[in-house]
Amino acid sequence: MEITEQKSSDVVTLRLSGRLNATTALAFEEKILGRIESGERHVVIDLAQLDYISSAGLRVIVLAGKRLSAENGKMVLCSLTDRVREVFDIAGLSSILSIYGSHDDATRGLQA
Amino acid sequence: MSHHALSITCSNRLAEIEKATELIEAFGTAHGLSAEVVFKLNLALDEVVTNIISHAYDDEDEHQIAIRVALDGEGVAVRVEDDGRAFNPLDAPRPDLGLDLANRPIGGLGVHIVRSVMDALEYRRENDRNILIMRKRTGDGSNEGARRIE
Repeated sequence: MEITEQKSSDVVTLRLSGRLNATTALAFEEKILGRIESGERHVVIDLAQLDYISSAGLRVIVLAGKRLSAENGKMVLCSLTDRVREVFDIAGLSSILSIYGSHDDATRGLQA
Repeated sequence: MSHHALSITCSNRLAEIEKATELIEAFGTAHGLSAEVVFKLNLALDEVVTNIISHAYDDEDEHQIAIRVALDGEGVAVRVEDDGRAFNPLDAPRPDLGLDLANRPIGGLGVHIVRSVMDALEYRRENDRNILIMRKRTGDGSNEGARRIE
């Protein structure tokens, strides 16, 4: 898995590619919690290039979402592939997370 | 029927799961399994083996996890055998998917995912080993989800 990062005004975007599983979840956890720790409050997680996610990856997303909410921040996700979307659906997370079809929509959603 | 089966032995390191994934993808291609079925088999196996590696062992020793994937008339059966502490995934508490994010526990979704993507699970403890058999029907997919494990 690779994570690339982009900052635009007060929005930080983390783009994940490859596979987010128990092997790679720790790197993602350290990255996203590090950004929250350093004061980021508006986070987009772009999953357009993510081929696979397991519960280990969902755990980090739930953790980061809760952490940001507690700090009056906001996390949104965008561009889930069908397979990844299916795992979010099974976990009952699609309805309680903010998920958008594109990065533009996600950025707008953060302002809402 | 032995050519319709695949045996994989993983040691208790997370990186080994990737090896199993690749072998099952090749097995799926060779036997004409749909991408959907292969995805679900790999997801379920990933969850199960990750649980074993993360929670089953009290020592730091190397352990072997034996995986066997076999085709029969109905679909695919995946058997996972380990020598860790007894754990019956059928007894795992079900997550409350109705909770909002603030009230959601962090984690606890692995077994739920396994139940959701497979059609049947069987567990037994035998000779101090856990044996889990997961079944996935193949075919035209018309039964997909119709008999999800309750």
